[in-house]
Amino acid sequence: MPQGDIELVGLVKRFNDVVAVNGIDVNVAPGEFFTMLGPSGCGKTTTLRLIAGFERPDEGKILLDGVDMTRTPPHKRRVNTVFQSYALFPHKSVADNVGFGLRYHSVTKAEAKRRVDEAMALVRLEDYGQRRPAQLSGGQQQRVALARALVLEPPVLLLDEPLGALDARLRLDLQVELKRIQEQLGITFIYVTHDQDEALTMSDRVAVMRGGNIEQLGEPRELYEAPSTAFVANFLGASNLVPVNIGAADGDGAQLGLGSFVLRAERCPLSSGADAVAMIRPENVRLEPQGSGGENRVPGMVEEVVYLGFHQEVRVRLANGTPIKVDVPNDDEQVEYEQGDAVCVHLPPRHLRVLAADAAVAPAAAAAEQVPA
Amino acid sequence: MSSRWIWRALAIPGLVWLAVFFVVAFYAIISVGLGNVTTLYEPVPHWNPLDWNVGYIWQAITNVVPGGDTWDTFLRTIIYVVVAVILSLAIGYPVAWYAARHAGRWRGLILVLLVLPFWISYLMRMFAWTNLLAEHGYATRLLHTLSIDTLFQKIGLLDGSDWLGGQHIAVIMALVYGYVPYLILPLFAALDRIDQRHIEAARDLGASPAGAFWRVVVPLSKTGTLAGIVLIALPMFGDYYTPDLISGSPKTAMLGNAINGYVQGGPDKSLGAALTLLLSAFLLIFMVYYLRVIRADQREAAGA
Amino acid sequence: MKRRPSFLAITTWVYIVWSLLPVLLAIRFAFNSGRSRTSLQGWSLRWFWEDPTLSVFHDPTLQSALVHSLELAAIVMLIATPLGTALALGMRRWRGRGSGTANIMLLLPLVTPELVFAVGMFLLFTSAFGFIGLGTTAQAIGQVTFTLSWVVLIVRGRLATIGRDVEEAAADLGAPPLHVVGRVLLPLLVPAMAAGLLVSFALSIDDFVVSQYLASGADTTTVPMRIYSQARGGPTPALNALATIMLVVSLLALVLAYFVFKALTRGEQKEQRDTAFRQLAMEV
Repeated sequence: MPQGDIELVGLVKRFNDVVAVNGIDVNVAPGEFFTMLGPSGCGKTTTLRLIAGFERPDEGKILLDGVDMTRTPPHKRRVNTVFQSYALFPHKSVADNVGFGLRYHSVTKAEAKRRVDEAMALVRLEDYGQRRPAQLSGGQQQRVALARALVLEPPVLLLDEPLGALDARLRLDLQVELKRIQEQLGITFIYVTHDQDEALTMSDRVAVMRGGNIEQLGEPRELYEAPSTAFVANFLGASNLVPVNIGAADGDGAQLGLGSFVLRAERCPLSSGADAVAMIRPENVRLEPQGSGGENRVPGMVEEVVYLGFHQEVRVRLANGTPIKVDVPNDDEQVEYEQGDAVCVHLPPRHLRVLAADAAVAPAAAAAEQVPA
Repeated sequence: MSSRWIWRALAIPGLVWLAVFFVVAFYAIISVGLGNVTTLYEPVPHWNPLDWNVGYIWQAITNVVPGGDTWDTFLRTIIYVVVAVILSLAIGYPVAWYAARHAGRWRGLILVLLVLPFWISYLMRMFAWTNLLAEHGYATRLLHTLSIDTLFQKIGLLDGSDWLGGQHIAVIMALVYGYVPYLILPLFAALDRIDQRHIEAARDLGASPAGAFWRVVVPLSKTGTLAGIVLIALPMFGDYYTPDLISGSPKTAMLGNAINGYVQGGPDKSLGAALTLLLSAFLLIFMVYYLRVIRADQREAAGA
Repeated sequence: MKRRPSFLAITTWVYIVWSLLPVLLAIRFAFNSGRSRTSLQGWSLRWFWEDPTLSVFHDPTLQSALVHSLELAAIVMLIATPLGTALALGMRRWRGRGSGTANIMLLLPLVTPELVFAVGMFLLFTSAFGFIGLGTTAQAIGQVTFTLSWVVLIVRGRLATIGRDVEEAAADLGAPPLHVVGRVLLPLLVPAMAAGLLVSFALSIDDFVVSQYLASGADTTTVPMRIYSQARGGPTPALNALATIMLVVSLLALVLAYFVFKALTRGEQKEQRDTAFRQLAMEV
C-alpha cells in the first residue's frame, strides 16, 4: 500500500544558463501537508514539475516510497497534479473530466461511475456532472480539477498555486476545504504558493525557497517565530529589520550597537564584529511614554499612524534614524498616538532575533507591506 | 524517453516532404543553372557541385547588367516594383490606420471586406480589369468622361488609347491593385498593436494629431511596415501574369516574363534557371531580412 | 478629432469599393444575356448552362478546367491537412538542434516567390523526378508543398490556444503520449483541421503559377489557367461565369470554415476561441 513518502535528493535543474533548482534535499512524510513557499522565480514550481515528471532533473533523484522514479515518464508516476490554470478538458463534460484517468486503472464501468460520483461528492459538486467546464465558475473548476486528481487515489497530490486565480474570499473558503479533504483522505499534499498566509494556515511544514534553494524548512510556528534569515523573516509576516553591529558576547546573547544606543539580545548566533540585522515583529515592539528607563529602550518620534480596524500601525523613527513599525491593538486602554509624539520604543531582548545582514533584503524601510487579507 | 518517439514520428513525414519537394526543387534550379545542355538544348542538370559549370550563370549575369539583353527588363521591373510599392503604401497606410484606430463600430465589417480580396483568385481580380479596361469597358468610359485619358496622353503616361495595350501605367496600377491587400493586413496588425497610451501621452505632451502620428505611430509601426513592404515586393519581382493579362506587350515585360520565356517558352531552360538563381539571390537578401524581422517580432511579443 | 477620421473614412471606403467593385461587375457580366463582357445586358443564366455550346456546362474546355480544379483541390486538401497537422504536432515538442532549421524550412514556402518555386518544381519533375513527370500528380505535389505551411500555421495557432497545460494534465492522469494526442489534442484540434482543409482547398483553387508550370496539356488545365489563356482573346461571358463559379466555391469554403470553427469550439471559453480565430484570420 503506497504511503506517499517523497524524497528529493540533490535535485538540480537548469534552463540554459539559469539554475532554477540548485540542489534540493527534502523528505516529505506520508500524509503530510507540505508547502513550498517563495517569491516567483525561487524554483518552487520547477521543483513541483520535477516531482510530477514534466521536467527532468539535470542531477539528483526523486523517490516515491523508496522507489526511484527520476526516469519514469509522468503518465507512469503515482502522483497527480492540480494545476493553477485548472487544465480541464474543454471538450469533455465535468464527469468525463473527472473520470479521465480511470481508463488506465482497470476498473469496471460501474466501479468507475461510483468513484467519479464519490469524488464529485467529496468536492461538493454532485449535480454538476453533465456541465461543461466553460459553464463553471473559477472556484468550481478548481474543485473539478481536484476531484479529477483525487479520484485516482494517488498517494501524493501536487498542487501548483491552485487558488492563485481566485478572489480573496473564495480563496479562504477553499483553503479550509483543501485542508479538510487532505486530513480526511490522509494523502500527502505537496503545495506550492507565494502567499504566506496560505502557507501558514494550511501546512504541517513549510519550505521557504529562494533562488533555487531552501532557505529554511520547518513548521509554520517555527518559521514565524524563529526565522533563520532576514529573507525568511521578511517573507513571513511583517518584520522590522534593524541594522546593528554585534558587540561583546553576553552568555548566549550579545550586545548590539544601534548607533549610539546599546541593545541586548537574548540569543545571538553570529560572532562579534559582524554586520547584522536585528529582527523584531511589529506586534512585539512596545511603546512607552517618553523618557521611560530600562534596557533596550530607544527614544523615537511618531511619524505616522495608520488605522487598521482592530489595530493600528504606528510608524516611529528611532533617535538614530532607523524607522520602526509598531503594531498596537485598539482596545480601550491604549494611548492615542499622533504624528509628532515623542515616545520611547522598547525592544524586548527575548523578541530580538539576530540575523545575517542581507543586501537583497532591504531592512526596515522595506519591511513587507502585508495588507491584511 | 521512449515515449518521445511519437512526436518525432509525427513530424517526420511533413519534414521529409518539405525537404524533398521544396529544398530539392530549389537545388534542381541550381543544378540546371549550373549545368549544361544536350545537343538538343535540353538541360542536363549537374547535381554534383564539383561538376558545376558557371557558363550559364555568367551568361545570365551579362544579360542583366546594363547593356545586356535583359537589362532593360530588369531595370523596368525595379521601377515598376518601386513605384507600385510607394503607391501601395500611400493607399494602404491610411486605410490600415483607419481600420485599426478609427473604425469604431464598422471595424468588423471593414476587416472582413479588407480580407475578402485574399479569397478571390488573383487571376480573377486581374481578369475583372480586362473587362473594365476593354474598348467599351466601364472603366475606360469613366476615364474618358473624366478626361483622364487625354491628360495621361499629354503627360506621356498613356500611349494611344488602349489601356490594355502595353501601357506601363496600367501594369503598375494593376500591380498595386493586386498586391495592396497583402500590404494592408500586416500594416493593420502593426498599427493595431500600438498601445493607444503612447499616442495619448504624445498628445498630453502637446503634440497635434498629425504630429503624434508622424512622430509616434510611424516609428512604432516601422517593423510591421517594412515587413509588409517586403511581403509585397518579393512576389512582384516574380510576377509575369500581371503584365501578360493587362498589357500583353513585350514593352512592359518584367523579369518574370523573361524567365518565363526561357524556361517554359523556348530552348534555353538553363539560362532561365540561371536567371532564376540570380533573381533568388537578389531576393534572398530581402527574404533573410523578412525572416529576421518576424523572428525579432516574435521574440519581442514573447518577452513582452 | 472630428475632422481627421472622415478623411480617413472616405479613403477607406473608396478603397474598399475600388477593391471589390471590379470583381462584382465581372460577376454581374456572367449573368449577361448578351455576349458582352464589358456592358450590362440583361439577366440570364445562359453562360452557366443554358447556352448549348458556349456555356460552362456545355463547353468542354471550360468544363474540364472546372472539374480538374475541383479534383486537384480535393486531393491537395486531403493530403496537406493530415500532413500539416502531424507536422505541427511533432514540431511542438521539438527543442534543440534542428528545430531552428525545421522552422525555417517551414516558413520559406511562405516567402518564396511563386515563380522561383514553380521553376524549381518544373525542373525537378523534368529531370530527377522525370518518372513522375508533369501532370496532375506534379500539380498536386507542388500545391501541397506550399499549402503545407499554411496548415501548420493554422494548427499551430490553435495548439497555442489549447496550451501546454491540458497536455500535461492528461499525461499526469496516466495517459501515454499516444492517448494524449488521440483523446485530448486531436479532438481539440478538429476545428483547426477543418479550417486547414478548407483553407488548403481555397488556396489550391486559386493557385495559378504552380499549376501552370506543372501542367502537361489540355486536360491538366485549371480554371485560373483557362482564364489566363482566354482573357485577352475576346471571350464570351462564359469565362466570367466560370470565374464566378470558382469564386463562389472558394468563398463558400471560407464561410464554411468560419462556421465550422465556431460550431466546434462552441463549448469553450468565448474569448479564447475568438482570439484563436482572429489569429487565424490574421495569419492568412
